[in-house]
Amino acid sequence: MIDGGQLTVRPFGEAALLVELGRHVDPALNARTVALMRVIAQARANGQADWLGAPVHAYASLLLPFDPRRVEARDVEEWLRARADHPAYPDLGSAAPLEIPVRYGGENGPDLEEVAGLTGLTPEEVVRLHGSVDYRVYMLGFAPGFAYLGELPEQLELPRRDTPRPRVPAGSVAIAVRQTAVYPLATPGGWHIIGRTDLSLWEPQREPPALIEPGWSVRFRAA
Amino acid sequence: MLEVIEAGLLSTVQAGSRREALAYGVPPGGACDGWSLALANALLGNAAQAPGVEMTLTGLTVRALADCWLALAGADMEPSIDGRQVPAGRPVRLAQGERLVCGAARPGSGIRSYLALPGGLDVPEVLGSPSTCLVGGFGGLDGRSLRAGDRLRPAAGGPSVIGRWEDARSDLGAPLRVVPGPHADELPGAFEALLAGDFVVSARGDRQAIRLEGGQLPAGSGTIVSQPMMWGAVQLPPDGRPIVLLADHQTVGGYPVPAVVISADLPRLGQLGPGDTLRFIPIGLAQARAELAAHRRALGRLPELVAVGA
Repeated sequence: MIDGGQLTVRPFGEAALLVELGRHVDPALNARTVALMRVIAQARANGQADWLGAPVHAYASLLLPFDPRRVEARDVEEWLRARADHPAYPDLGSAAPLEIPVRYGGENGPDLEEVAGLTGLTPEEVVRLHGSVDYRVYMLGFAPGFAYLGELPEQLELPRRDTPRPRVPAGSVAIAVRQTAVYPLATPGGWHIIGRTDLSLWEPQREPPALIEPGWSVRFRAA
Repeated sequence: MLEVIEAGLLSTVQAGSRREALAYGVPPGGACDGWSLALANALLGNAAQAPGVEMTLTGLTVRALADCWLALAGADMEPSIDGRQVPAGRPVRLAQGERLVCGAARPGSGIRSYLALPGGLDVPEVLGSPSTCLVGGFGGLDGRSLRAGDRLRPAAGGPSVIGRWEDARSDLGAPLRVVPGPHADELPGAFEALLAGDFVVSARGDRQAIRLEGGQLPAGSGTIVSQPMMWGAVQLPPDGRPIVLLADHQTVGGYPVPAVVISADLPRLGQLGPGDTLRFIPIGLAQARAELAAHRRALGRLPELVAVGA
């Protein structure tokens, strides 16, 4: 169940509500957030609540746009709270993890040696640790198809690079703080790049365009 | 059809926003000044959100490969055709071989100008919109800004209307209206400080956001765990210098939001450029909704208004 009583709902401008389930990066909170997203998406797909816009979610919050000409904010909130008390969708994180093959180090992972140095590990240990756990897909953001994956093993925790790179190649596998990610596109980036995958994470013409969905489980393996 | 001779500082194909792809981390995109795009389109009888070219600070030079109607609206880039000044507020016909030259945006007239072609530019929809997504490299013309040699093809053979619009925009310098943001209560004094002073738009601005200088807000607790963001959100980073999000903003962000520019004022927000001064004034949520409804009614009436002028 998602407990509707634990939602904090506030206006975000005159045509949207910000719904907070919490303020932490936490798998359980995120599972409830993703479940609520799915409830809303399902209702919209079924043609219900056509005064709602497409929602967006983050770790433990979501944004619910609405058409203020057709519905009052308090009615949107009431609608949401009623849905929030419904049984949640199963947590997708419990499904078999999506495996991402990675070529670690060298030109594919220019920061691997440095990460090893900063963490007091060998590059082999960094690779082993990175591939040792299943990661939860918390959300997509920063750039199209960019998935925030957590939690990175504590031994690999490092702050972001002091100076972001102006261009990180697409497919770069990177770590920062307690998270890891694959850069779906060549973008600027401040995370430590330890490898690269050939999987295509983002194709705007594909349905769905993002390879990875929030709530999924992901695992990295040395290619 | 038009050939781009010079592309200007940043010219992109823009139409409506890509609302249904936000959850994939795709910015909403679309014309930063949707009003001016709608006006340029109305002058030719196009749909309000038909794809056009958004020019930034300096405009395009294009050559007609065949006779072509076009319309311009937004910032005054003092357009001319082979040296003849183009009158504002009505479509013009570019004869084959003629050149339209758009220059620098005249100070005080905004920074973004919109070029519309009959039926809109002929570009495909990607993820629900033809607008260019620069960060994703899709939409518009090959997902990038225009460059010399590009061809701009109209979707229709000619305009369905020859409209006329006489009103010069008089509200560009007026304060932007804001409602308290979702984190206003957690940032004591921030909303009030935003209303108290004049701000200057920094030179570091793009389609993602503008940064404000000249005033500093009490920054409070710093950052929060990332939350969804919106076009018009006034973010408060730890340095206390506000950032106002535009059409290409990232869909999530970790700076708290003490204020939000109302939807009806987003087109004017999109015309602010480096060095412009700006002020904010508060407005209630109910009034903000009324302003949005009025704005949409005005957009809806553009076609009949430009037709009456003809």
